[in-house]
Amino acid sequence: MKRLINITVNQKKYELAVDSNMTLADMLREELKLTGTKKGCGLGECGACTVILDGKPVSSCLVLAIEADNRDVVTIEGVETENGLHPIQQAFVDHGAIQCGFCTPGMVLSSKALLDQNPHPDEQDIRKAISGNLCRCTGYQKIVEAVQSVAAQKSAHK
Amino acid sequence: MLIPRFNYHKPSNLKEACEMKAEFKNKAVFLAGGTDVIVNLKRGVISPDNIISLNSIAEITSNSVNDKKGQTIIGAGSKVAGLVNEKFLLPYSALKTAMENIGSPIIRNLATIGGNIVNARPAADTSPSLIAYKATAVLNSVSGKREVSMDDFFLGVGRTVLNDNEVLSAIILNSHPIYSGSAYIKFGTRKALEISLVNVAAVITLEKPDGPIADARIVMGAVGPVPLRAKTAEKVLIGEKPGIGVFAKAAEAASSKDCSPIDDFRGSAEYRRDMIKVLTERALKKALSDIR
Repeated sequence: MKRLINITVNQKKYELAVDSNMTLADMLREELKLTGTKKGCGLGECGACTVILDGKPVSSCLVLAIEADNRDVVTIEGVETENGLHPIQQAFVDHGAIQCGFCTPGMVLSSKALLDQNPHPDEQDIRKAISGNLCRCTGYQKIVEAVQSVAAQKSAHK
Repeated sequence: MLIPRFNYHKPSNLKEACEMKAEFKNKAVFLAGGTDVIVNLKRGVISPDNIISLNSIAEITSNSVNDKKGQTIIGAGSKVAGLVNEKFLLPYSALKTAMENIGSPIIRNLATIGGNIVNARPAADTSPSLIAYKATAVLNSVSGKREVSMDDFFLGVGRTVLNDNEVLSAIILNSHPIYSGSAYIKFGTRKALEISLVNVAAVITLEKPDGPIADARIVMGAVGPVPLRAKTAEKVLIGEKPGIGVFAKAAEAASSKDCSPIDDFRGSAEYRRDMIKVLTERALKKALSDIR
């Protein structure tokens, strides 16, 4: 049986009829066509489906869409600003932190959630924040460097 | 991966949740953080007719400190990520470390402490600490509520004392005694998203600042169907002055007498037994240095 939910995705309000057994990841991809959210393992182990739910990064493959009723979701499509890429996205490009790209949306969102909470993380904070996001290409070093560079920019602007 | 169809229910208070569970019994599964339930649905481990969401019930998701009794009441539906930062849990080092070791940040933002317990996995992170602290589980049903010591909560792999009409609503931590310290050590092959190969929680309480040991609790995970108390090791410690010598003796006892590990793909029984010795000694040292 479908149920109506109200959900805010990337600052846009939606009223959607969803099946009770549909995950948030599937709702974003199939109903809203926001395919930037990737589906990897489907079991909460890879982090490819990470979205920011009420300010906190979570695996959207483990959340039922109906449980996101009246909640706020940010996906990778929502981080770009009118001035172009988000600084974290730009840093990933500049540092070669993207290879195949499949983990990138989740990595960017976990990093964004970290920087929103703690603008000056050290290397360990960064590694811990992305510890639920698996990358099989980069060996993580370039990703960590990219996030560090954004943190350094933030310090410079202070 | 597809999730089988089910009827979704969202009670707004504990009473409603109990009534629903009383009606559906084993035809319903509670959903809190979802980090285990959704995985089990996808894998076909469970296929309940009904899912009862606990996520709109304030009584289950809130925490409180009872100043009179010094007890801390943790809502079973409290998110692990939130609990880790709670000031009232600061003295409970073992539990704090255990929660910091669950899954990954994106899992801890969903996962609840109650979920970690009711799944009754032998390697669960929070169970050993809660048993070591002599915590109590609060179970509610339509006929009222009962309190069960965490010592008696687990019956086997995936099995607890919860009846099919009951819900775990809270966990009660006793006031933190003075001259008491605790530690939890999780041993696995990686730091995140890991299931313990073995884990050990230890709490020691001294009679006065320079000893002797008045009370000791050691609980070992992943070396039996349920988290196991190292009772022989605890006896070795009680009455003794804390120190490396007696800690080594207790660790030896925990390893040779108190644990019953099995071989599986994560490690051999022999290796687990050896690691219990190492980790028990380390956990005791850490618990001693945690006394403030």
